[in-house]
Amino acid sequence: MLVALIPVGGFAQQQGDPSALEQLVAKLDNATTVADYEALETQFVTLSAADEQWLPPYYAALCDANIGFLLEKEGERIEPYSDRGLEQLKEARSRIDTATQQKELAEVYVVASLLYRTKVFVNPMTMGRKYGPTAGKYLQLALQLDAGNPRAIYVDAWNKYYTPKAWGGDRKLAKELAQKSLALLAKEQQGVQPHWGVRENTALLND
Amino acid sequence: METPGITGLLTIAMLLPLSSTQWALSQERRTDSLVNKADTITKSTKPRILQEVQVSAGTFEASDKAKGASLTPIDAVTVAGSNNDLAQALRALPGAQQIGEREGLFVRGGSGEEAKQFIDGILVKNPNFPAVPGIPQYSRIDPFLFKGILFSTGGYSALYGQAMSSALILESIDIPEETEASFSLFPANTGLGFQRSADDGNSGYGINLAYSNHRFYNAVIPQAPEYFAGPSYLQGTAHFRVKTGDRGILKFYTNWNGSEVGLTQPDVNNPDHRSAYSVRGRNTYNNLSIVRYFGNNWKMDASGGYSFLRTVIHSDDNGHSDRDEHFAQLRTVFAKGFARNQAIRFGAEHFFTREAGTWEDRSVRFTDQLTAAFAEGDIYLTPQMAAKIGGRVEHSSALQRWAFAPRASLGYRLDADNQLNAAYGIFYQTPSSIYLYDHPELGFSRATHYIVNYTYKARNRFFRAEAYYKRYRGLLRTEPELATSGVGDAKGLEFFFRDKRTFTNLDYWVSYTFIDTKRQFLDYPELLKPTFAAPHTGTLAVKKFFPGLSTNINVSYAFASGRPYYDIASFSGSEGPTIRHAGTTRPYSVVNLHIAYLTSFFKLSKLKSFSGIGMGVNNLLGTKQVFGYSYSADGRHRQAISLPAPRYYYIGVFMSWGVDRRNDFMDNQLL
Repeated sequence: MLVALIPVGGFAQQQGDPSALEQLVAKLDNATTVADYEALETQFVTLSAADEQWLPPYYAALCDANIGFLLEKEGERIEPYSDRGLEQLKEARSRIDTATQQKELAEVYVVASLLYRTKVFVNPMTMGRKYGPTAGKYLQLALQLDAGNPRAIYVDAWNKYYTPKAWGGDRKLAKELAQKSLALLAKEQQGVQPHWGVRENTALLND
Repeated sequence: METPGITGLLTIAMLLPLSSTQWALSQERRTDSLVNKADTITKSTKPRILQEVQVSAGTFEASDKAKGASLTPIDAVTVAGSNNDLAQALRALPGAQQIGEREGLFVRGGSGEEAKQFIDGILVKNPNFPAVPGIPQYSRIDPFLFKGILFSTGGYSALYGQAMSSALILESIDIPEETEASFSLFPANTGLGFQRSADDGNSGYGINLAYSNHRFYNAVIPQAPEYFAGPSYLQGTAHFRVKTGDRGILKFYTNWNGSEVGLTQPDVNNPDHRSAYSVRGRNTYNNLSIVRYFGNNWKMDASGGYSFLRTVIHSDDNGHSDRDEHFAQLRTVFAKGFARNQAIRFGAEHFFTREAGTWEDRSVRFTDQLTAAFAEGDIYLTPQMAAKIGGRVEHSSALQRWAFAPRASLGYRLDADNQLNAAYGIFYQTPSSIYLYDHPELGFSRATHYIVNYTYKARNRFFRAEAYYKRYRGLLRTEPELATSGVGDAKGLEFFFRDKRTFTNLDYWVSYTFIDTKRQFLDYPELLKPTFAAPHTGTLAVKKFFPGLSTNINVSYAFASGRPYYDIASFSGSEGPTIRHAGTTRPYSVVNLHIAYLTSFFKLSKLKSFSGIGMGVNNLLGTKQVFGYSYSADGRHRQAISLPAPRYYYIGVFMSWGVDRRNDFMDNQLL
């Protein structure tokens, strides 16, 4: 696996070197399996110790969120990833100046919403009542901070798509939101800043 | 029969197998958030595998903290055909027998009297309305009151006693999460309820009223018994809960009810006549409990309860009874936690029982003061192994005897998903009070349990296999004389498998129970297989949600091989009782169906409304059920004990209107 070949120990020597982050983010763009995300999460956590940007812990948390979604049907196996992800996300948030970096904060809240959603997967009957609304609340906060954030719009689409109509779900609206998110993503530049969402929106539209 | 509290069942059953995402729009108080906890850098991230060893032999736990395929209280009580009776619902789990003619739990060769229910530590002396021969009666306890249900089929904690076979340990919910009014209307049942949560979320109260009358239903659906009174049931409940201090809580629950059932059935001794039976009951159950936390990991649970039951029975066969039962209990448990999930718990409790009046045409009076002290420790042995060791001392004033009951259980984790458990314990029980009215020289009955258990719990699947041996001593015998000299044993093997993973929006479990048991008790002239134990029992519970239809379909199936039956004749003199007839009933097989459709009848209402239609059929296929036979005194005639009607139907609506404040609480925490 290519991800595994990245010399984790080398980050100490590459402190502050943006190329390490770029390299990992590029790998993240192509990750698909739990093993991919696990390996990347470990490397983002390691990078986080050396790189004081908010992005390494943010991406570590995103890896955990993605693992949680891949393991949606696996019950209690998900929770350790949710918890690890939230720890990393708290770290990311602590590195953000919330007064001036509202777009970054919105990105953090989007992933918070995803991570609390993965907690719901652990047991919808018990954890859903507890964490479903929290996931919704973080999405709301993200949209309040940055209504044009394509990832927040994607998460909104996902919620509407997978929530039954009786509970407020709307598949037609969900697909419209996914299209809107894709259009916004098309304007984003690749790089180390959050830009994920194309694969996710496409999967939703093709469901 | 359906119970007055059906609204909860229908409402919650709707929610049961929803996919994870369906909770997206519901609102709940948050318990943690990114901003609540200290923003310290976490250098050591949490491990990916949870490590705790939880000792669990002999126990099914349904908790509101359940993960994966572990049971939640709602999973446990929404099995189709459960009739809103927790004990009935738990018959879908291994260890319990399919007993259709009586209420209660019959566990591992034990009679219904060997299983007891406790709410917040307080014994529920009479969980169901007064018994009617051959017809199970409603439960008085709303099964949706609980956030934790511990169904022990053996080897349970030293903190509980006086149940030789099974303890059903119930932990009530805390503060209501919303202010809400509810209403339900079914042909035989009507319910009204209101609960309020304080603005700060620190206290709440609620009241409920339910009335059930089967006269109209029985006029439409013919019943084998002919009713001349009721069946009617009226019940009011109220609760109040308030937080005390940081994590403490005070809870009060009160339940008042009355019932009346009068019927005639063919007289087995005289085929041309019908014999009458009528029962009126007045009952109250009150429970006050307080939980307080002190420094240094100390915790105190103190509770007190009082219940009263007046039962008036007129029976052509057994005469007249008019009896008052007073029961009071005080209980305190102290606990201290230590590192590595270790803890010690100790405490004491006192049970006061007084019964007075007339029982089967004779004047009776009985008082018992039962005192117990107990201690138990959760002990860390190795990272893979934990033990729970304890003991319990009891003294009964009626029996004038002491008893000591050691308890021990062990858990050994093979890996993150697989665990082995073992349990041992001695369990004492005072014989039923009706045998103690004449102050005979009786002792405690005793059961010794040996249990080994294997569990696999991972990836939304849960498998459990358990083997046990149970030895009875001191069982009550009524022939040739009243004495606690009966013996018996039970051995068995049980399997349980639950799968929430394989099929989307479908949750199912299967269970199988094998039991080989014999006992000499009551009038059994020798060791016999008891009439309440079938060698083979299987259950299937399926819950399927159809999101597009907003409909939940819930089906349960139970099978049990034939149960033994006997015609035992008692003769005066030294001859003792003899078996005139014996046999095995036909196998038992039942399918129950429950359908719930969720909608909103008041879409324009400013209040959040939630409505639905619920319907169901018990014994859907109309299978003829024979639970046993009753014989005439001369042994020449017999009557099958069967269902009062081939099927039980229900259909109705339920509605609720609420102001959900949970979003407010969450906002307060976030901002």
